[in-house]
Amino acid sequence: MDQTTTEIPPKIFTCQLCGLSSPFVYYGQKPPNTRAIVLLEECFVTKDPFSPEKEKFLVLGSTCSLCSLCVCVASDCSLFYTKRFCMRCVNKHLDQFPHQIQAELAKKKQQSSKAAVS
Amino acid sequence: MDSHRRTWDWDSSQCRAQMDQVFFREQDYIQAGSPDHKEFWAFFDRFQRFKTKKDMSGVAKEDRGDGTDRKKAKVDLGLPKEYDARYRINVSVCSRDIEERLGKSEHRGRQRSSGPGPQEISDCRLALLHFLDFTQRQSFGKLAKLRREQKNLPIFQYRDRIVELVRTHPVVVVAGDTGCGKSTQVPQYLLSAGFSYISCTQPRRIACISLAKRVSFESLNQYGSKVGYQIRFETSRTTSTKLLFLTEGLLLRQIQQDKTLSQYQVVIVDEVHERHLHCDFLLGVLRSLLAERQDLRLILMSATINIKLFSDYFGSAPVLQVPGRLFPIQVVYQPIPPDEQPSRSEKLDPRPYLRILQGIDQRYPPEERGDLLLFLSGMTEISTIQEACQVYATHTRRWIVLPLHSTLSIAQQDKVFDIAPPGVRKCIISTNIAETSVTIDGVRFVVDSGKVKEMSFDPKAKMQRLQEFWISRASSEQRKGRAGRTGPGVCYRLYAESDYDAFAPYPVPEIHRVALDSLILQMKSMCLGDPLSFIFIDPPPASSIQTAVTYLKEQGALDSRGELTSIGSLLAQLPVDVVIGKMLVLGSLFHLVEPVLTVAAALSVQSPFLRSTQHNPDCTTARQPLHSNQGDPFTLLNTFNAWVEVKGERGGGSRKWCRRRGLEEQRLYEMVNLRRQFKDLLRSHSLLESEGGSSAPSAGDRGQRRERLTERRRLHQMKRDHELQEGGKRKVLRLEEGGDGGLSSGSDTEDKSRGRKDKDRQNMDIQEVKFKLRHNVSQLQEAVTVSQDLSSRQQALLKLLLCRGLYPQLALPDEHNSTRKDSEQVFHTKNKQGVVIHPTSVFASDPEVLHVPEDDGGEMGSDKRDSSRHQLLAFVTLLETNKPYLSNCVRVPALQALLLVANSMDTNADCTRLVVDGWLELELRDPSEALRVLSTALKLRAEWERLLLAQLGQSGAAEPAAAEQAVSRRATEKLSEGLVRFLLYTEVSYSLRRLTALQTQNLYVGPQAESESSSSETPDLSVLFPGAQAKPDPIKGGLRVTSFFTYNCLMDSKDLYSECLRTFWSCPNCDLYMPLTPLERMHHEASCRPAGEQQESQDGAESEKASSSSSSSMSSLTRVYHCDVCNEDLKLTSTEILKHKRQHMYTAK
Ligand SMILES: [Zn+2]
Ligand SMILES: [Zn+2]
Repeated sequence: MDQTTTEIPPKIFTCQLCGLSSPFVYYGQKPPNTRAIVLLEECFVTKDPFSPEKEKFLVLGSTCSLCSLCVCVASDCSLFYTKRFCMRCVNKHLDQFPHQIQAELAKKKQQSSKAAVS
Repeated sequence: MDSHRRTWDWDSSQCRAQMDQVFFREQDYIQAGSPDHKEFWAFFDRFQRFKTKKDMSGVAKEDRGDGTDRKKAKVDLGLPKEYDARYRINVSVCSRDIEERLGKSEHRGRQRSSGPGPQEISDCRLALLHFLDFTQRQSFGKLAKLRREQKNLPIFQYRDRIVELVRTHPVVVVAGDTGCGKSTQVPQYLLSAGFSYISCTQPRRIACISLAKRVSFESLNQYGSKVGYQIRFETSRTTSTKLLFLTEGLLLRQIQQDKTLSQYQVVIVDEVHERHLHCDFLLGVLRSLLAERQDLRLILMSATINIKLFSDYFGSAPVLQVPGRLFPIQVVYQPIPPDEQPSRSEKLDPRPYLRILQGIDQRYPPEERGDLLLFLSGMTEISTIQEACQVYATHTRRWIVLPLHSTLSIAQQDKVFDIAPPGVRKCIISTNIAETSVTIDGVRFVVDSGKVKEMSFDPKAKMQRLQEFWISRASSEQRKGRAGRTGPGVCYRLYAESDYDAFAPYPVPEIHRVALDSLILQMKSMCLGDPLSFIFIDPPPASSIQTAVTYLKEQGALDSRGELTSIGSLLAQLPVDVVIGKMLVLGSLFHLVEPVLTVAAALSVQSPFLRSTQHNPDCTTARQPLHSNQGDPFTLLNTFNAWVEVKGERGGGSRKWCRRRGLEEQRLYEMVNLRRQFKDLLRSHSLLESEGGSSAPSAGDRGQRRERLTERRRLHQMKRDHELQEGGKRKVLRLEEGGDGGLSSGSDTEDKSRGRKDKDRQNMDIQEVKFKLRHNVSQLQEAVTVSQDLSSRQQALLKLLLCRGLYPQLALPDEHNSTRKDSEQVFHTKNKQGVVIHPTSVFASDPEVLHVPEDDGGEMGSDKRDSSRHQLLAFVTLLETNKPYLSNCVRVPALQALLLVANSMDTNADCTRLVVDGWLELELRDPSEALRVLSTALKLRAEWERLLLAQLGQSGAAEPAAAEQAVSRRATEKLSEGLVRFLLYTEVSYSLRRLTALQTQNLYVGPQAESESSSSETPDLSVLFPGAQAKPDPIKGGLRVTSFFTYNCLMDSKDLYSECLRTFWSCPNCDLYMPLTPLERMHHEASCRPAGEQQESQDGAESEKASSSSSSSMSSLTRVYHCDVCNEDLKLTSTEILKHKRQHMYTAK
């Protein structure tokens, strides 16, 4: 059986913070088959597995604009504010972010610590 | 601009349509009219409301400029000074307005005075960006949740280890308990490790579908076909399928076609611990296949039961044990006190069960959710306890009592998954179906009776038996585990701990309990050699293999040396019981394929008649027109035909039609699918002409075809839609919904299930859709019309076919039945006396049709049992529960049916006494009639056999010659004519009785040493029965004329050539007139055909003239005969030898 050799192993995206990993089909700003869409950062993109339509894409993550860490788009791992920042960098430079974001993060921290206690 | 603005209205559909032309064009990411587009506008409304609210609270306006801090930072991130939520979105959209601004499409007029202004466009763009961000977050959230759940499964830690083991070992055993995730995860681990062409077998069809669905979702291929399933009638497999879930039986069939299973790289056999017959066999087959396929990887997955057995069987294969994920379960032993123990004949005492319900009500507050699952051994037990619990439930209003067993309708079974209202618990009373097959979440309490009813096969009585046993410790643990799936639980065991310790460790594997006919047949067809030397994981007793071999020989599937016959090899490919398979093959010979297909399908699925509605007078009345007193297969045939007609006329309305009659429509859908599969199988074996001619779809004009195509597209869409919304939210049960589930009648009638109508309708639609996709209703109707209104002749022939298929499953009505009550009618089979008819059978309600008419005595001699109307029952199953029951019976005329199908017929010298299969004795009064009947039967059988063999031989050939087929068609018509005439117009009076044990002992004369029966004297009967030579039977004595007929071997018989038996007889066909013994006469009759009927050259051997001309075709029929009187070697046919000998006899006198 030569079936095994013909398979190209899929490219895997892995978040360096939370470990989430999933195959991706495209890296860049212009997801395939989406004429009108332009991403504002270079992203790891896959087909949206939860949509029946073939052209729907899903951004898995990208690289931190400061430290180049590969991070997923989960709010625990990164934040996009004109650029992508990993959570480590966000925390390091928290003072430079608008207070709306600061407040939001503080609130989330509070919530998660509460959840951990209970 | 101002005036324009005032006309803009976001709520106007016109305005939205204009906006659509900017953002949702054909080439855009989201197109107008798509589901996403609809969602966008819903989102838009929410978004606008949110914005207005925010604007009013004025939060957005506060701006404190954090510039002072920023200067201190080492790195300037260069973030905008003012916060805008838009900066958090990493997507931009190119829409018409931007394209126009960029001059891409300046030919499009800019002067749309009534169009949206820049502000509206900008508002909409903002909403769209937020919408896209929202959908991204939503999908990513799902993905993250999925990955989180996968990570949390106990098996996740072993992921790399599993892949590593599979890479380095041909066989790996993965053992893990419920909830460890092995069934869903292991195939995915292998997929992502780069294995493809993976098959994963399941013991149950439903599991194949649900696992394929789950795994394709988890492996992010929900809308692709990378993960598929294949079950008997359905497949989602495509060329891109890399992982296939399929049933064990189906994989075995694939091995039958593809000996090395080259289509797979990996085979996973799941749930091996359940030890199903197919699974045990599959393991054996795979074990020998591994030697040939070194690259094949085999993974056995099991609960942590008896793991060593599997590992040892595959040469100490490595075992990876994964802990399950169960919450702690408290075990309470509550043995039933002696005075509440059920005695054998009595009903179960409900008090121990009620005490547990009460105890739960006292100990656990109703706000604490958690349902109860109660295991009982069978349906009778379930209804007893259900009744008692329902009284308690009605009183306390804290329980909804639901039964669960396989004979419930699908809708009723489904109820156990619905949710109880707050403060109320479900009390599910189930057979062991809920032990492994059905998994119900939310169970907190388990009550285990410790009993199970299991089917076993009694080879002595040739009977299935459903008996109650103690369960095994493994089952006991499995039952307990059902309480700890979603939280900590309690398991009440209604037996003592010492009982538990005394239980067998594991359940008895199926291979030790059931008849092995199908298994042996399949082994033969797979060329696996002697079944006795096949290495099973746990070999069945040699005696049950032997029983199966004997049975298959009786059925003609194996020849005397145990090799597969041509009919046997065909039967091996049919996924049904041997008897049903035989019917199909027989039906294909005559023009009765359509009804036989239906009957065979109907007998292979569960009865569509719901037990629960059996005593409902409305249902009984409505069913009445479907009943046939010819037998249950005919009732089923009528039912199916009527249903197809309703489907043709009313489509989905058939559901209501079924409900009125207490029919489970699901079974009819199964029938129609199975029927189709049978048809395809017969066709693929050239036993059926392929579809064509007038009914071909190409006959329709183009318009019709296009219509059908559009229709199909629509149906496919409906099916897809249904699949998308499937697995939606569970319904909340109403308090009244429990109770009469399967107990009192009419639980499933319309008025009571009104609350469920929506769900029903949805179910109905999808069933109807699948039905229409799979079947061409009008073609089906045509087929059905053929089998509707069968003439009495066709009916007689069909009955004969069923009888021959079912043979030797025959039952004789007891001679005193006519004096007994309807409910006390007794029957006897060869191996089991005193069986009764199952109450669901038509003969249970109408037994008179089986009685011998009283006035039909013929001669009013001493023997009153003489009649020409004796009947036998051919039956599909003999199953002992509390009594031995016959089900699915058809009545047949006794003498005719036996003569045409029996494997063993013994006669006395004048053929007036006949013993069939060593247990039925028929006595005919008139010797000449007896001879006539017997010789007709022999002729018919020989011809039937010849045609059947020709038909089967044809099926082996690649392309049957058209001419050949035409010949056989004419011959077939003639044969069926002959059979029908024999069945309907044989008016011979005879007695019919069962031999006593003593009589069967002294039945035969035994071998005789007389010189008279030496071989040279024996007439050669090979003309009549090709391949069989009449020779003395070494055991019975007398002459073995054919494989099934031994002449003159019965004890009271007179001598073969005794002069007194010779009577003068003139042949109606030739001018022969001389005294002949019965045998000589039969022999002559067989070889002497009326003039003009000599179709085949071989058969034209009757005239002396022809025989003297020594053509080569003749020589095969003549043989050298040395006449002692003439002292000369003569070349004569056997008839001529007889004539020649007779000359000397007369001259000697
Ligand atoms: Zn992450
Ligand atoms: Zn960073």
